Amino acid sequence: MLWYVLRRLAYVLPILLGVSIVCFSLLHLAPGDPLTAVMPEFASDQVIEQIKRSYGFDKPVPVQYLLWLFNALSGNLGLSQVANRPVLDEIVPAMVNTFQLAAFGIGLSLLGGIGLGLLAGYTRRLVTDRAITTTAIIGVSVPHYWVGLVLIAILAVTLGLLPAMGKAPPSPGFGLDDIRHMILPGITLALIPTGIIARSVRATVIDVRKQEFVQTLQANGLPPRRTFLHVVKNASPTVLAIIGIQLGHLVGGSILVETVFAWPGTGYLLNNAIAYRDIPVLQGTILVLATFFVMLNFLVDLAQPFLDPRMTRQ
Amino acid sequence: MASLRDRESLAAVSPEPASSDFTGVIDGTLQRRTLLKMMAVGAGALAWPGGMAYGQGGEKVLRIAMTLSDIPVTTGQASGGAEGGRFINRSIYDALLTWDLSQADKPSGLLPNLATSWSVDPKNRNRWTFKLRNDVKFHDGSQFTAHDVLWNFEKSMNPNAAHYDRLQARNAANWLVSVKSAKAVDDFTLEITTKRPNGTLLYELVNVFYSSPRQWEKLGHDWTKVAFAPSGTGPYQLVLLVPRNRAELVRNANYWNKSMVPQHDRMVLRPMPDANTRVSALLSGQVDLVEALPPDAVPTVKGAGMQVTTNVYPHIWPYMVSHLKSSPFSDIRIRKAANLAIDRENLVKFLGGLAVPAQGMVTPDHPWFGNPTFKVKYDPDGARKLMADAGYSKSNPVNVNVTMSAAGSGQMQPLPMNEFIQENFRDVGINMSLSTVDWEALRSRRFAGAEGDLNKGVDAINYSWSIQYPVFGLIGQTYHSENRVKGYNWGHFADKKADQLALNALDAFETEEQNKRLGELHSYLVDNAVWVWVVHDMNPRGLAAHVKGFIQAQSWFQDFTRIRIER
Amino acid sequence: MNTPATHAGEAPARAVEPNKRIQRTYWQAARRRLLHDPVSMGCLGILSLIITAAILAPWITPYDPYTSSIVNRLKPILAPGFVLGTDELGRDMLTRLIYGGRISLLMGLLPIFIATLAGSILGIVAGYFGGKTNMVIMRVADIFFAFPSVLLAVGLAGALGAGVVNVLISLSLVFIPPITRVAEAATTQIRAQDFVEAARATGASAPRIIVGHVLTNVSSPILTYSSSLIGLSIVLASGLSFLGLGISPPLADWGLMLNTLRQSIFLAPVNAVLPGAMILIASVCFNLLSDGLRAAMDVKP
Repeated sequence: MLWYVLRRLAYVLPILLGVSIVCFSLLHLAPGDPLTAVMPEFASDQVIEQIKRSYGFDKPVPVQYLLWLFNALSGNLGLSQVANRPVLDEIVPAMVNTFQLAAFGIGLSLLGGIGLGLLAGYTRRLVTDRAITTTAIIGVSVPHYWVGLVLIAILAVTLGLLPAMGKAPPSPGFGLDDIRHMILPGITLALIPTGIIARSVRATVIDVRKQEFVQTLQANGLPPRRTFLHVVKNASPTVLAIIGIQLGHLVGGSILVETVFAWPGTGYLLNNAIAYRDIPVLQGTILVLATFFVMLNFLVDLAQPFLDPRMTRQ
Repeated sequence: MASLRDRESLAAVSPEPASSDFTGVIDGTLQRRTLLKMMAVGAGALAWPGGMAYGQGGEKVLRIAMTLSDIPVTTGQASGGAEGGRFINRSIYDALLTWDLSQADKPSGLLPNLATSWSVDPKNRNRWTFKLRNDVKFHDGSQFTAHDVLWNFEKSMNPNAAHYDRLQARNAANWLVSVKSAKAVDDFTLEITTKRPNGTLLYELVNVFYSSPRQWEKLGHDWTKVAFAPSGTGPYQLVLLVPRNRAELVRNANYWNKSMVPQHDRMVLRPMPDANTRVSALLSGQVDLVEALPPDAVPTVKGAGMQVTTNVYPHIWPYMVSHLKSSPFSDIRIRKAANLAIDRENLVKFLGGLAVPAQGMVTPDHPWFGNPTFKVKYDPDGARKLMADAGYSKSNPVNVNVTMSAAGSGQMQPLPMNEFIQENFRDVGINMSLSTVDWEALRSRRFAGAEGDLNKGVDAINYSWSIQYPVFGLIGQTYHSENRVKGYNWGHFADKKADQLALNALDAFETEEQNKRLGELHSYLVDNAVWVWVVHDMNPRGLAAHVKGFIQAQSWFQDFTRIRIER
Repeated sequence: MNTPATHAGEAPARAVEPNKRIQRTYWQAARRRLLHDPVSMGCLGILSLIITAAILAPWITPYDPYTSSIVNRLKPILAPGFVLGTDELGRDMLTRLIYGGRISLLMGLLPIFIATLAGSILGIVAGYFGGKTNMVIMRVADIFFAFPSVLLAVGLAGALGAGVVNVLISLSLVFIPPITRVAEAATTQIRAQDFVEAARATGASAPRIIVGHVLTNVSSPILTYSSSLIGLSIVLASGLSFLGLGISPPLADWGLMLNTLRQSIFLAPVNAVLPGAMILIASVCFNLLSDGLRAAMDVKP
């Protein structure tokens, strides 16, 4: 087991290194002077040189990378060029907000996806199955930023049922108001994973029901709720893997939804960083999000053998 | 009006304990800790610091949606341009002078504020003396004196001072550029020496704000901590700052200017760069006042029983054109033709009537308008004639490249507006290609000037501009060669007569005379069609029905203290 | 794991020659199945209509896509003369949507085309040659695969700056790694098959074997997989335009139209919602068609 963990880790570390190189390169991909945002309007050449030095821009690129990586490893992602605050201080609260919303969205999609998937799987070849699979495909294909706009226009503005944007005002604990603010963006985020989970649950149900031993058991008069246990056992590793990966996608890909709902998370941070060419924030946010994504996949990989004993035998 | 009892009870829950809780949080985040700890701290930052529940107990709260994407710097010199000044500087802090924002029907003039009076030495017109108020206290309780003014000048001007702050220096640079030195004659008398005689100094000092040196000392000489617990002399005190999310300010019941003690208990500022988000937030009751309402939302907002306020203000939406040889706009005929080609009436209609057709930098009723002979108006035939003179026609158009941004402060609705003008231009033989960059990139292109590498092949930039100050609007747009100020006069308009007229205006120390000379300069700029002027924004704001007492002044700044919340 | 060869019946067990014949009947069967699927055919019909309209735009659109008219702005749907109403500058929505489809489809399809080409080459090379070549290519692909797709697209487009070309580059880079993975997996399995071994034993050169044997067998999983990405690519491309990272006016794709029209969503909700509906229709049709294609080829995901 330990050997398995180490092997997975040995696979993950070079990827993380590569990810850091890609993030670092973003700065040099960006056209124009990355320091325009920090330069005073009336800077002399001397001041410009001084600022360049203070950002380490006078050193060769590989040295800059190593310095940046070393700093990043010790939690220093530099200063936001626009806000002049440590990038990590910008990212952490944003990450907390993004994670909150993504977890809520995953929760919703679990309910929806498993429900739809089971229904489709058990009613295979019926109209419901086709309807549900088509719905699942629409869920996967939908431009969710557009759905967000429509939801705001109808539910928040016209009917006044739910808040249109942002997070609830700070309050002690986690209350009803927090949830009310999360419903619309949560539904919007949940669309894609709902479709994916529904498709996968459906496929597993069909697979399990096709298996010989289940058919034999059923022929021997086993009630359907017993086969359901097999479905749960077989489907859970896959669903878990999907949840893990989709959580990563929701956290990392929330930029459009967070922009539409002005949700103060990493996507919103990223969008502003792009608008203001705040490269350290752009770099740092992408690095943290990608690391999160890689680690999440790593954990899903690690958890798989515990849930699915067949894996270790392979 | 809030009763006296209300005010006292509010003073009792005043922000001191709350803000110190906050600095504790910030203390933590500054350390390099493990990610897990950081997450915990981040979550902690969202917890409400005080004991009082939000908006309860009959507290009158004014919630405002700004167009900025972040809360401006709160330490004294706000970022975010005029909007930072409007919401942060003027709320938490005071300047030596202030704008008269009590009337809606004329351009706002200057009034005494922290300074009660001032004079210029007739023998040495570089030397100004300011008499300061002696009854002003910072939020931390300490007395405001002339020494504090000097300390604040240093924080922005002297890189070797211990309390120098690069961020505030950047935001103050525009306003302190003509100050050479300053000294405190006594506790309440300040002497400022300028680099050259400058009759427009007051327009600059109205934007310099004063933070308390004692607070900076108390918080361990750390501006990052001051940002979360700033101390100024202004009508509000900051009690909560969640970067990029919200700032909450409560009434300073002890404000020295009794007529400007806020008439509500708390003001909440929320950054919402997206216009649609602002509208949705207003309509769904999440905020009470939104900035820059998009014109198409006006009927809906009014239909929901809410209010829309508008007014002209010193804003211009122009094309700053390049006067370099390589640009077609170096030909005055093409500049004039472009000015005549724009159907401003219909453009204003598109904007829901929420703009004023421009006839120059300022509106004709402005004291600086003067008497230009070139009339900026819609005259496509005149434009075609000028284009024909220059050798172009609709079938043989001249190509111009324009850089624009898809959004940005004061840019109104750049995409459809530019598309509309693109079509107007095509009609007279100007083929305008647009390239879109983000707002910050456009800003750096503006700093670089038309001759900069960034602007190679660019013939104009579409960049909204403030004309509230003589140097911004007029003087700075003419200077060239050694006098040119970086960031102004983008197109390198170089004209000896214009330079002379600008210097004349700078040398006038008396308002009447200064206005007259600025008018002469403005006439000359219009006659030379130095820019292509399009419209002045009316800055529509949306207000919930229960928001009373707001007067929208003809200014980039507004007085929010007089707003009452009457549900 | 599935390989196309096993779907083609007992092909792997046979010698080199019959392989081709079975391949042909396999494709024929797949086509027949596809033609009998009403959902796939419906989607194909809708997509053909959108694509034909986009190609023929200058000849079939009733108005000029750029001429604005303030008096005609935001006419409702079915207004006289404007079947789908007009936009915020009074331009015919139908015309704009058809022209917008040109760019949206191009920005959706071209990156997939580029990525399929590049990904197949990389994947086949990695899978066929194995060893160090495989390791280098696949580890680099893994690095790009480590980014959530939206994040990578936004990050690249954000750093490169707005513009169609930058969007094309970013999206291509997003889709190359997953396609490379699929191509590599398929190639690795084909390479182990007897008929490839046999071909190699006869001294055939690597390019010959790749073109003659590998390509025919790996193309079906690659194509079904690539086709399943088209919908996503269209949604992503429009999303980038929606964020202001895409195309510049007066050209507009559906994403940019959605962006500029959404300020009118309270005044003319139907008009504002139309561009998004087009993105949805195109994306759903591509995905359903791809699903049908997969079913027809009986290639599992």
